[in-house]
Amino acid sequence: MSSPLAPSRPGTHPARRILPPGLLFALPFLVLFALFMVWPLVQGLWMSVTDTSLSVHSPSFVGLDNFSEALQDAEMWRALGHTVWFTVLSTVPLVVVALGMALLVHTGLPGQWVWRLAFFAPYLLPVGVVSLLWLWLFQGDLGLFNQLLNALGLDSVAWLSDTSVAMWSIVLTTLWWTVGFNFLLYLAALQSVPDHLYEAAAIDGAGAWRRLFSITLPQLSRITVVVTVLQILASLKVFDQIYLLTKGGPDNSTRPVIEYMYDVGFTGYRLGYASAISYVFFALVILASAAQYAALRRREK
Amino acid sequence: MTSTIDPPLPRPKAAPRSPVIREVAARRRRAEARRAHLSLGESRTARVLTFTVLTVLALLWLLPAAWGLLTSFKSEQDASDPAHWLWPKHGFTLDGFRSVWERGELPLWMFNSFLVAAAVTVITVAVSAMAGYAFSRTRFAGRKTLFTVTVAAVLVPPQMLLVPWFQQMLTLDLLDTYAAVILPQTVAPVMVFILKKHFDSLPRELEEAARLDGAGHFRIFWSVLLPLSRPMLSAVGIFVFIGAWNNFLWPFVSTSDPDLMTLPVGITSVKDAYGVQYAQSMASAALAALPLVVVFLFFQRHIIKSVATTGLGGQ
Amino acid sequence: MTGTPAQVGRHGPTRRRVLTTALTAGAAALGAGTLSGCGSALAADDGSTVRLWDPFSGADGGLFNEMVAKAQPDMPGTHVERTVLEWGTPYYTKLAMASAGGRGPDVAVSHMSRLAGYAPTGLLDPWDMEVLAEYGITPDDFADAVWSRTQLHGRTYAVPLDTHPFIVFYHPGPAKKAGLLTADGTLDADAFSSPDRFLAAGRELAKASGKQGIAFGYVTDTAQCWRLFYGLYRQTGGRFELPEGGPAEVDEDRMAEVISFMAKVVDGTANPRRLDYASAIASFVNNQTAMILSGEWELGTFRAADKNIGAAPFPTVFGTPAVYADSHAFVLPHRDHPDEEQRRRTHRAVAALLKAGQVWAGAGHIPASQPVTRTAAYARLEPQAHYARAASHVVLDPSVWFAGAGSDFQNAMSQVLQQALLGGTTPDRAARAMVRRLNTFLSKPSPA
Repeated sequence: MSSPLAPSRPGTHPARRILPPGLLFALPFLVLFALFMVWPLVQGLWMSVTDTSLSVHSPSFVGLDNFSEALQDAEMWRALGHTVWFTVLSTVPLVVVALGMALLVHTGLPGQWVWRLAFFAPYLLPVGVVSLLWLWLFQGDLGLFNQLLNALGLDSVAWLSDTSVAMWSIVLTTLWWTVGFNFLLYLAALQSVPDHLYEAAAIDGAGAWRRLFSITLPQLSRITVVVTVLQILASLKVFDQIYLLTKGGPDNSTRPVIEYMYDVGFTGYRLGYASAISYVFFALVILASAAQYAALRRREK
Repeated sequence: MTSTIDPPLPRPKAAPRSPVIREVAARRRRAEARRAHLSLGESRTARVLTFTVLTVLALLWLLPAAWGLLTSFKSEQDASDPAHWLWPKHGFTLDGFRSVWERGELPLWMFNSFLVAAAVTVITVAVSAMAGYAFSRTRFAGRKTLFTVTVAAVLVPPQMLLVPWFQQMLTLDLLDTYAAVILPQTVAPVMVFILKKHFDSLPRELEEAARLDGAGHFRIFWSVLLPLSRPMLSAVGIFVFIGAWNNFLWPFVSTSDPDLMTLPVGITSVKDAYGVQYAQSMASAALAALPLVVVFLFFQRHIIKSVATTGLGGQ
Repeated sequence: MTGTPAQVGRHGPTRRRVLTTALTAGAAALGAGTLSGCGSALAADDGSTVRLWDPFSGADGGLFNEMVAKAQPDMPGTHVERTVLEWGTPYYTKLAMASAGGRGPDVAVSHMSRLAGYAPTGLLDPWDMEVLAEYGITPDDFADAVWSRTQLHGRTYAVPLDTHPFIVFYHPGPAKKAGLLTADGTLDADAFSSPDRFLAAGRELAKASGKQGIAFGYVTDTAQCWRLFYGLYRQTGGRFELPEGGPAEVDEDRMAEVISFMAKVVDGTANPRRLDYASAIASFVNNQTAMILSGEWELGTFRAADKNIGAAPFPTVFGTPAVYADSHAFVLPHRDHPDEEQRRRTHRAVAALLKAGQVWAGAGHIPASQPVTRTAAYARLEPQAHYARAASHVVLDPSVWFAGAGSDFQNAMSQVLQQALLGGTTPDRAARAMVRRLNTFLSKPSPA
């Protein structure tokens, strides 16, 4: 597909017989990769050492000023804290509840497609739909949750406007929305546990709970690790639902670091500073990945 | 870890057509029954308890969407009436849907979403399959390095590329165009990794036979390996399509023009000129949810398979 | 990994075939629908459409549509296509990004208080005053206080549509019973002319109404506290200088005085204590309170509940008359190569809208175009006529890049004030916290 793109990277000339066919095959991907992954990474680094802004004035070099400002920026650390806090709060339920659901569904009781639909369908909803829906559920006077609370004689809760409750509300929404994915992974794993293990245990007279703890859970330990790692990495990147539910409020008490980057760059026009923050975020992701990789290696020893 | 995902769905009412299929189905049912037996034991109470818990959980999980759906069929007046919050005083109506549809933006946003998601899927699958094949089955200078770089790139969160992508599109004067929304989403190192592993796992005999017949790389790829890979490719394709359809952040940043917005961005950015209307809001949410839910209802098995296999390759 | 075996030929309507047909039919219908929609949009886009972005929803939104309709004769052949975006920070972010991309709307509504941060960035184009004069709009049409804010480096970057001050509304019944009305039925400003008198009036109103006196909605709101505070602070005559790079030069004692007064207003006995924006309106509309401190833009809502609603400029509690306000204005998003014809059409459309400002007054706003406010028709509008004179002593947000409607700054200030009003901090500490935050804002480089 043609477009007025001028790739500045070498080695992307039209194919000639000199190029090995293998390279030709990989070329489209490599071109896109260079254009939309490598170039932006480099450009982001460049922007982070300038004061690029949304305005039409040309940027100038500022060295490491953006980075030093970022590391001293209390608001940025707060935002990083929110991201980490969200990850901590959401990972455990998203793994445990998914496991519970999968175990229950895997028992093979009739009605399989109902459970699957109920638990997984929310995952297919775009975040826009999820947030509109839960904004309505959490609504102060008319939302379902407060209506139910009032019907039971309890006080309404300021789900999204009380700083001590807001993050929990977001976690709840996220749980509803994405647990289906982990649920599926667990279900697939459960189905591959060999039957003969269970049969042997049954012959030995082991009860259901014994079988669960001695066979099923140990067999699931690998997939649990995978699910947890995936979940942590995904939670660190959170933006969509927090932005749509609370815009980072109330009083910026739920603003994750990605939203802070967005606010600084696009609302505050300071694209250079935002780039610096994005690299700080990248460092966090690398750190988390490295830590998990190290933990994995130790386990396997 | 790989496994053939075979969700033990009981076959629906339609009678199977041949004795073989009937036997397979019967065997599956026995396996299911045995599994239930294995997990729960003979105890009736255990069964009933599990069933109850599952039902309660499922109801809880269906409740939010059901509530939203209920609201979308109310009139605006009833939707904001705290006294009659369950059953609308004035009965049900399609007014919310009608108003939202007539505003004219929703069909356009659906079209945009479809266009973008389809384009991203086609390009990503094609490009990643070719690259996966190249890394798996061919040799060229720098192949190993390039592949390592690709795998390393899986670590890069797309969120951190937001600002440079924006700046890039600004420089190329592509902001608020379809190209800007589509192109960055086509780079999927994870899919290249998955497809390379997949091609690695295919037996080489067919290729060797084809090569003896004089087929070049392209013919081998197109005529031999691709047909064998149809399930994997559709799994990848479905996963990419769902991701592209539901993608919010980049379309949100790259489009300010409401005519170009995709569905998730449009329904949350553009507000009705007449204030917060809950019934309409829920109607637009329902309409926006419809496409993928419908697809899911019909392609359940494929989607589940796709998510389970590609999901394991990384998010 | 082994895949599923291919589907052995099934005959008849399989699920897949039914779905494919349904999807194709649906896609065809959708495509036809959108293409026809596209078609009409394209047809209109043969150049006679002026695309406008604005944050007007609710009652304002409806009235704006009316104003566009009324302005039609003055802009024949031009169709104004509105896009309503969410009010606040997201609105300005989207506008800035669209302007940066060069594909923004032809014209947009902006708050005047935002101009100081927006105009210097180069994301706006100046208006052509000569062209506007051709269509009957000149600088003389506007009050100095407002026109002075539209200028940057000698060029005009905004054309004011209205001024919308923060005022008081009241139910005439209880007000009369409490003895707070003058002979001609308007609010007795004297009765509110000092903090003590203001609070006493509140108690009288509570007694007269049998419920409570004065409503003020502020909990979790990102701007209400700031609006009330800044108007009152400027009434004290205190300094509020914000030199670039800081530190802020403000009178902390006077700030504490104002905050202490605000906290006493929402004491919880005579007046409700913890109202948010929506519940304050509900409380006033349902006669749970006799008076409300509110922006005039809620006039439509109030009048729908009580035809005889009274309104008055915000009383001068602290000595110097000052009423907090902001102003909606039209701005031109930047284009590298603007189409001359289109620009001309935009100028004409804006001129037409200004002339139709009488409709906008129905929303409670004070039209910026004085030829409109000087008409007899406007003078007849009740109760707008009673607070129109506030326009002569309005104060807008400080003219600094980080302030303005929907800004982080207003939110930050409101958060601190909210804590003080809820009793979480003392007025002194709140004042100090505000100054600290002010200095943080000042220390950041302006992005322009």
